[in-house]
Amino acid sequence: MNEKKTRILAARMRKWIVEEVYTAQSGHPGGSLSCTDFLATVYENYMHIDPEEPGKKDRDRLVLSKGHCAPALYAVLALKGFFPTEDLKTLRQTDSYLQGHPNMNTVPGVDMSTGSLGQGISAAVGMALACRDQGYENRIYAVLGDGECDEGQVWEASMCAAHYGLNNLCAFLDYNGLQIDGKTSDVMNTKSLASKFKSFGWHVIECDGNNIGELITALQEAQNWTNGPSIIIGHTIKGKGVSFMEGDYTWHGKAPDQEQYEQAMDELDLALKALEVE
Amino acid sequence: MKIGEKYDPRKTFGKAVTGLAGNNEKVVVFSADSGKSSGFGDFIEQYPERYFECGIMEQAAMGMASGMATAGNIPVFCAIAPFVTCRPYEMFRNDLGYMKQNVKVVGRNSGITYADLGVTHQSLEDFAIIRMIPGVVVLAPQDPAEIVEAVKAMIDYEGPVYMRIGNPQIPVLFEEGPFEIGKGREIHDGKDVTIISTGSMTGAAMEAAGSLRKKGYDVGLIGMPTVCPLDEKMVREAAAKTGKILTVEEHYVDGGLGTMVAECVSDMENVRVRRMGIPKLYATTGSYEEILDFYNLNADGIIHQVMEFLH
Repeated sequence: MNEKKTRILAARMRKWIVEEVYTAQSGHPGGSLSCTDFLATVYENYMHIDPEEPGKKDRDRLVLSKGHCAPALYAVLALKGFFPTEDLKTLRQTDSYLQGHPNMNTVPGVDMSTGSLGQGISAAVGMALACRDQGYENRIYAVLGDGECDEGQVWEASMCAAHYGLNNLCAFLDYNGLQIDGKTSDVMNTKSLASKFKSFGWHVIECDGNNIGELITALQEAQNWTNGPSIIIGHTIKGKGVSFMEGDYTWHGKAPDQEQYEQAMDELDLALKALEVE
Repeated sequence: MKIGEKYDPRKTFGKAVTGLAGNNEKVVVFSADSGKSSGFGDFIEQYPERYFECGIMEQAAMGMASGMATAGNIPVFCAIAPFVTCRPYEMFRNDLGYMKQNVKVVGRNSGITYADLGVTHQSLEDFAIIRMIPGVVVLAPQDPAEIVEAVKAMIDYEGPVYMRIGNPQIPVLFEEGPFEIGKGREIHDGKDVTIISTGSMTGAAMEAAGSLRKKGYDVGLIGMPTVCPLDEKMVREAAAKTGKILTVEEHYVDGGLGTMVAECVSDMENVRVRRMGIPKLYATTGSYEEILDFYNLNADGIIHQVMEFLH
């Protein structure tokens, strides 16, 4: 495990996320920035994947069930060598393969097309079932949003994952407490998601979802768990890393203007440089 | 199978899948508490490791089947038709169509076969909605022999397929033979009018055409076991020959085969299309046969429409 390298990857991802959304003048920076540390941790330390062979059958797989956070997934895939980072500037442009939501048939490294909330986790369960039955020793990861947990299909899939005892499945809940119209507790109060997943038969691990050290430990615990699926409930901050976006739900799905972009990039540059000289 | 013998379409379908699974270990079955009633009793006994019970959750089952297909499996998911079409429509569109997944969805007790159960269990819009998902093949085999061959064809086909089958026993109409997706079956050549039917209605259409031909009317008949992609070449050739097309389907008059045929010939001169089906409303309840008669979906009803068309 390389915590420092992971933190640098996360910092570089954050710069690209802002760059992508600013260039496109649309997109979802808030949730992308909140799940960045998880994506950086899992791709840097846990995913057995090869950019030269993105379709390898027994590879580890990740389903971004909260598909609107594609800027974060695209950033990590580009930085891990699946496609040129320069292409990130084509996000949402006409004919770009980097659509607003990820398409597995056009983007190298994307394991499942997502976008409609609640659907990705079902696909991840199917993948985990198939891979286990074929004797692969790979792991399937799924990234859920907390707002997404309003969807009934999430619970259908969760029930099934536990029913089949899918040890090879690990979900990450990006628990930033905000969704498009405000606080999750105001829009639809799901009460305790930890209790819900536990009662559905999942092994629940809670941690600071923006703390890479804690995420490394949580992912290791999930990997060691052999009595069904695991979920890491990561307490995160929406817009993490950009001061004026942090904790502000209005940054769920809007792009910064030039002044905001410059301020965000200044902050992220400083954070990256501080890490590099550590 | 001998012409005229009757078979249960669900058992015929389940037996066909089970038979193929013996030679193709990629074939897996998904159930939403619907496996045994979909004819998979033998499959469950013979291949329990390839049978995935999801419980009553058609939406997640669609997604799980999609995920399983990414690892090279060929999932077959069968349940009551509206529960695998209307209910998980967005999952069908995104998880199967958009991703081009090699998943086979089968709607059983389709059309109005569940006449006595009421509207919730009927499927009179499945052609219309599924054909609007790009890249999805829509099949409606017309007799037990075609069900067997259509199952082989859909498993061999790489991509998403929707197939509808009924519930009551249906007679064998055709000799067993290869099933080619996208190809119509010319049953009678004719110059006066062409009937184009699909699925369960082809039996009645054959009876009607036979009766009319005996009376001296040169009635053509095409059976369409593939609704989408439509065999446009065959439709247009028939339209050019007779100028009169009568479509017959156990589906709403709107949106299905009849609409597709009308769309197909809309740029042709001197061609008229009449469409037989069930009017777009919440159908009344009764026995299956009574409801078909109520909507004139029988040989007499077809004969009546042909005679009106010709005179």
